[in-house]
Amino acid sequence: MNTQLSPRLGTDDPRNPGSGPPAGTAARPRFAVRHRRRLLRADALTVAAWGSLAASVSLWLADGGTAAISTVASGVTALGIVAGLAGMDLVLLMLLLAARIPLIDGAVGHDRALEFHRRLGKPSLYLLLAHGILIAVGYGMAEGLDPVSEAVALWVLVPDMWLAFVSLALFIAVVVTSLVAVRRRFPYEFWYLVHLLTYAAVLTSLPHQFSVGGLFAEGTWQRWYWIAICAATGAALLCYRVIQPLVATFRHQLTVERVTAEAPGVISVEMSGLQLRALEGSGGRFFIWRFLAPGLWWHPHPFSLSAEPMVLGNDGRGLLRITVRNLGRGTAQLAALRPGTKVAVEGPYGLFSSAARSRDRVVLIGAGIGITPLRALLERTPFAPGQATVLLRGHSDQELYLGDEILELCRRRGATLFHLTGPRDPGAPGSWLPAAWHVAGYALTDYVPDIADADVYVCGPTAWAGNVLSAARSAGVREDQLHYERFDW
Amino acid sequence: MRARAAVSAALASAGILLAGWQSGVHVADTRSVVAAASTGNAAESSSELGTSGTSGTSGTSGSSGTGASGAAGSAGTGSAGAAAKAGGTYDGDVVQTRFGTVQVQITVKAGAITDVTALKLTDHEGRSVQISNYAAPILRSEVLQAQSADVQTVGGATVTSDAYLTSLQAALDAANL
Repeated sequence: MNTQLSPRLGTDDPRNPGSGPPAGTAARPRFAVRHRRRLLRADALTVAAWGSLAASVSLWLADGGTAAISTVASGVTALGIVAGLAGMDLVLLMLLLAARIPLIDGAVGHDRALEFHRRLGKPSLYLLLAHGILIAVGYGMAEGLDPVSEAVALWVLVPDMWLAFVSLALFIAVVVTSLVAVRRRFPYEFWYLVHLLTYAAVLTSLPHQFSVGGLFAEGTWQRWYWIAICAATGAALLCYRVIQPLVATFRHQLTVERVTAEAPGVISVEMSGLQLRALEGSGGRFFIWRFLAPGLWWHPHPFSLSAEPMVLGNDGRGLLRITVRNLGRGTAQLAALRPGTKVAVEGPYGLFSSAARSRDRVVLIGAGIGITPLRALLERTPFAPGQATVLLRGHSDQELYLGDEILELCRRRGATLFHLTGPRDPGAPGSWLPAAWHVAGYALTDYVPDIADADVYVCGPTAWAGNVLSAARSAGVREDQLHYERFDW
Repeated sequence: MRARAAVSAALASAGILLAGWQSGVHVADTRSVVAAASTGNAAESSSELGTSGTSGTSGTSGSSGTGASGAAGSAGTGSAGAAAKAGGTYDGDVVQTRFGTVQVQITVKAGAITDVTALKLTDHEGRSVQISNYAAPILRSEVLQAQSADVQTVGGATVTSDAYLTSLQAALDAANL
């Protein structure tokens, strides 16, 4: 099943950094330096995040917060204020982590950023709840009211406070629908719509922070700091989630060229576009696509490129390709895409690319539809012949999607390829191998003896990928050599 | 690398918190100095007034030594128990609300309230200053008209009004009105 992109595989491209032997020898210092720089950036971001949390508490300390505590009531109120400050800071951090800022994406990767985002969800909600409860209790004690009457009094009497209550309810809704157990019960679309309420939650929380919160009274530097971080977060969201996508969409002018069936339930969508040279090297990274057809346009689809952008002319005219499996209602509609459909695009995102490399050797391990980004990565990532190994896992040869293209690429570039097909071992849920191979006692190091000195890229279903990652770790692969992308939401 | 990030993050956070705390101590110091100075003045003036016997004005509050703190201040009760409906000024209690302290002063002539001055009004942030500025004149004129603390609270300024009238009642008690 050759695709239109296949002919390129046979030709030697002089611009391809992976095609010549020098790539392997020159690679080590380049990878090492780039890798160190990336880790430094990630650490700097970690420090900045913690620093901002400390700063939010410092705002209150610098206002003489501790000296104002003299009674139980003022102590409880003070705790409530600190919880609110820290909670809002975490909310802003969450927004920044989800803003797809290139600095963060390039340092830790989009999926890792979203993992931190998810991990902050519950702590920030707990802090905001504590803020509300402690303030109600503290104010209530100061006035001899029970917390419920105090909350009612705050809602009724104090301007902007009813908005703050609405905001808290929205935050609860957003976090609860994001809990894994709840999220599984609803379609992606429902979660997505509820998640959009985050913006309403943040906006409704802002007025009371500045009008009721004495810390941010007019004329204080604390007010300016708080305005600055809120505005910066808003600007980042606007820039990278609204403006950048619009710019990319108008710049590349993507149009569906054709839709081809790769296997039952798996299709490739080829899109033609402009100025694609700017996207070279993004094979394996993912974009968020919106197909501008009736009933489809509002639904964002995150899919990786399954081939390097193919630039056909000097003007940057060329083709992009994604390969997707039918995973949900939204995806099913893609098979019916008509040629000529316009496509809005955001990206590229993620670190599933050569930018994450730290070693000369590279191992690509994929299963099912997770094979397709590896196909794109294999095309360009630098390695010398013999330094790359590709392991493909599926129930049958038919499920090794784009297997023909991968075979051709391995042949041309000198990579070792293994097809690991067959049913999994029901008695060994921790195994990533087909039952037959697992029973025979094979392990990762049997396929790749020198894996401990390689970059390992893993893409596939979450549970399976987890098994591969633990196998790699026990084979001596360090955490910063492991590169994986979760492709479920 | 993770260790490096953790250590630097811990150090940076500790530094930021320390800096915040340090400048906070400074702020608190200034406040208590100011408060102490004003308390001293109040004590002085009240003793002065005491010797001249013109009124039973009480010291504002000894508890202001700790700056912005203090629950409902009870220090400002009238000391002129025996002074019958004499003329003069009388301070009400310092009433603590969630938006700041409220205290009023009344001027009495021949058993009638001739003026009400707000010594302190809720001022914790811009919005409640607005509310105070809006509510105080209304309350003042109502009190002058009613000649008692038995007046309606101002809509939208319930907290301020309640505190205002509580403080006023204490001042009226002090003046034996």
